[in-house]
Amino acid sequence: MNPRKLQQSTREESVQENQLASEQKQVAREFNSAEEMLRHDASQTLVPPEIAARLQESIAKEPPQRNWWRRWFGS
Amino acid sequence: MAEVACIERTVDTEGTATESVVNWSSPEFGALYEQHSRQIYYLALRMLSDTAQAEDATHDIFLKAFRGMKQFRGESSQRTWLYRIAINHCRNLLQSWHRRTMVTNVEETVWDQTASRCESPLRALETAELGERIRKTLDRLPDEYRLLLLLVADEELSYDAMGELTGQSADAVRGKLHRARKAFALLFHQTE
Repeated sequence: MNPRKLQQSTREESVQENQLASEQKQVAREFNSAEEMLRHDASQTLVPPEIAARLQESIAKEPPQRNWWRRWFGS
Repeated sequence: MAEVACIERTVDTEGTATESVVNWSSPEFGALYEQHSRQIYYLALRMLSDTAQAEDATHDIFLKAFRGMKQFRGESSQRTWLYRIAINHCRNLLQSWHRRTMVTNVEETVWDQTASRCESPLRALETAELGERIRKTLDRLPDEYRLLLLLVADEELSYDAMGELTGQSADAVRGKLHRARKAFALLFHQTE
């Protein structure tokens, strides 16, 4: 094998290893309590946008809400 | 009626964020949804332990809220009012499914006997694995402990509001939370 190519490949591997190590360092996390962990988990949880879309459809199908006096007098 | 536009942010599995505009026909309801949907969805997700069912439940909870908005008298905060709807809705679903095998009959002293394991910090890799470990842990907790921990994780709720939502005094909530934290820590370590 070409020694220059080997050197380059070793350097690339080393860079990849360093990146991996730094990523692992970034993701390790410690929590002091259950609620701290749950709070973090909640903050990372995204509400699926489909819910808002479905809600809009459902609300559009809802009968219009009448005022109490209209209901009372049946008008 | 004037429409209110809200920006909805989503992140796909590759971490790419996209934004879409949601136009709510009721500005009041739009604001309510934007402000509280994350906490309500999270509660449903962790109570029901299923993404699809949590989506359905969140939709139904907010539809109930929409129908009941005119009757909301402001005696509690909006968040507490929504949590009440959400807790009742999820409890009804769980009761009708009869699908859980909870450890509700485990004696509370079990959690007290394992203090050393419970008191060490909860360490985890911040990946999808963390969510899975939390799910497994919560699934094994008694219903009441799980609910109390989910509520106390929301910093907007006071102990009084938690007591109101779970039908007990604030002091009782504090006592049970102490045991719930221990139980969570013990079970979480077992998921390693």
